[in-house]
Amino acid sequence: MLKIEQLKKSYGNFRALDGLDMEIRRGALYGFVGPNGAGKTTTIKILAGLLSPDEGRITIDGQDASGADWSLKGKIGYVPDSFGVYDNLTTWEYMEFFAACYGIEGLTARKRCSFLLDQAGLGGRRDFYVDGLSRGMKQRLCLARALIHEPALLILDEPSSGLDPKSRREFMELIMEINEQGTTILISSHVLSELSQICTDIGIIEQGRMVLGGSMKEILERVDHSNPLLITVYRNADRAMGILRSHSCVRTISIKDNCFAVGFTGDTQDEALLLQQLVDAEVLVNGFSRQQGNLESLFMQITEHEEAPAIHYEGRPGT
Amino acid sequence: MIKKNFLPDMKRNPVYQREMTISSRSARLPVIILLFNSILALVAFLDMYSAVSQVRITAEIQYSRFLELYIFVALIEFILLLGLMPALTAGSISGERERQTLDLLLSTQATPAQIVMGKLFSSLSRAALLVISSFPVMALVFVYGGIRMVDLGLLMVLYTVVALFSASLGLCCSALCKKSTIATALSYGILLFLLLGTYVVNWFVASMARTGAAGYVNQVGGISAQVNSGQFFYLLLLNPAIAFYRIISNQAGNGDAAENVIQWFGARSSNFVLDAWIPVSITLQTILAVLLLAGAVRHLDPVSRRKEKRRKK
Repeated sequence: MLKIEQLKKSYGNFRALDGLDMEIRRGALYGFVGPNGAGKTTTIKILAGLLSPDEGRITIDGQDASGADWSLKGKIGYVPDSFGVYDNLTTWEYMEFFAACYGIEGLTARKRCSFLLDQAGLGGRRDFYVDGLSRGMKQRLCLARALIHEPALLILDEPSSGLDPKSRREFMELIMEINEQGTTILISSHVLSELSQICTDIGIIEQGRMVLGGSMKEILERVDHSNPLLITVYRNADRAMGILRSHSCVRTISIKDNCFAVGFTGDTQDEALLLQQLVDAEVLVNGFSRQQGNLESLFMQITEHEEAPAIHYEGRPGT
Repeated sequence: MIKKNFLPDMKRNPVYQREMTISSRSARLPVIILLFNSILALVAFLDMYSAVSQVRITAEIQYSRFLELYIFVALIEFILLLGLMPALTAGSISGERERQTLDLLLSTQATPAQIVMGKLFSSLSRAALLVISSFPVMALVFVYGGIRMVDLGLLMVLYTVVALFSASLGLCCSALCKKSTIATALSYGILLFLLLGTYVVNWFVASMARTGAAGYVNQVGGISAQVNSGQFFYLLLLNPAIAFYRIISNQAGNGDAAENVIQWFGARSSNFVLDAWIPVSITLQTILAVLLLAGAVRHLDPVSRRKEKRRKK
């Protein structure tokens, strides 16, 4: 759906984007993460047509979007990190104004405004002035506004910043609902726990380059498999130690009380066989699981330039 | 699909529509109109009362009093337009930037030209409302005659150009500056230069030329009649106040005063520009206004700016 190739952008001597490559498939909910100054907002602003790249190519549905073609703006909905609302307009007027900015008028505009305000939970507040809305409502209004022209790609830059947990949850639910309706979404956020819950795909950017990208499920699985296997035994710990030492998939073992943290390179079947082996050897096992990996740990590993498990998974860890 | 060019169709310009909605809610413009017309009406009433009182005492009517009233109303409107337009426009684009709504606008299919034109026409509409609302007071001058409709038409043309020029200046500064306060200060600074600066530059150059000529006269014992401010005089074509002075002098003062303007900074022989001062000045100010608007549009358009950057490379 969206393809970015070798995107470069500099501000004076500072290179914000240094050959960024990125691809978002249709219908994806793509989490775009990276440390501050990594180039997320620059990428988003280029996609929204607010900045022009120095070099590189952007295609949306196969159409070149590098030239900020006005017709392509109709395919993108943009929610910036600030609210960007006109306080002296009512929510209805605010929606109608942006509908008119996309050339949507009359009955079509009214139907669309009404539908989106209802979807955002603001149907009962259409005559309220925007400055009378809460922060969470304003953010939902901004989201509704960005969908007024039924964009194929919705871009959200730090949408939940400054929202309380309840508003944030409501907002994320709304995003998921919109994604389920078929809109491809690119969301940039620092709240990685939320992204890992809602996103189907993820891209991690650092120093203007994409350092890791792909499906969220695959990446998290890779993170999980690089995490140690946690085995808790009730009795016969020595026998368990002997089995683990002789197992070909075991690379490292650390033990605390009766709990083993095992560096295990095998797959799910190897894990099952190991458990079977322990049980057959009359080791009483009362805990057997992979330590759960998460996006945050992956992000920290990548951005702190440690060995990223997802990248080095296929390599042989040292003993 | 949205029309790319709906400059003449303001009913379809969302920025114009929104600006008009917001301004119609504000009490500021009605208050300005009320104060402005109250002052004009009060002055007109006092002037007419004074003229009629004089008739009772001296049994003669001074019709020039009504022309003075016309000059007064015209002058107040001229000053108001010059003073008000930058205030209406200088914060319009930078204000969007400060409210963080400019990016939202630019990310839509509304083009920078539509945004600038929407802002321009909304400020011109408000100015037009102000001028039109003063017509009843101005019409008093027709009770006794002295001013033709053509004269009033010419004055309206000048007002339109002055409003367009000062609004374009404000919009251009607003597009260039990030802060509204800086944009406002810059617009008024440039306007002040055009009103006073061009005059002062001419006065200074003419004074220097006279000083130099005086030394020469002492040496050769003659009189130099052609000492003037040279080509700097043509800077005054950009001064809206000079065009206004010439129009009003022609209409309600005396024609000689209007013609004398060209001799202000030294004697000059007649040429096309000096003879057709008003149309040339109005045309130049209109061209400058268009250039300022084009500059504002260009500055808002990231694609144009990129092309420019590439061209420089």
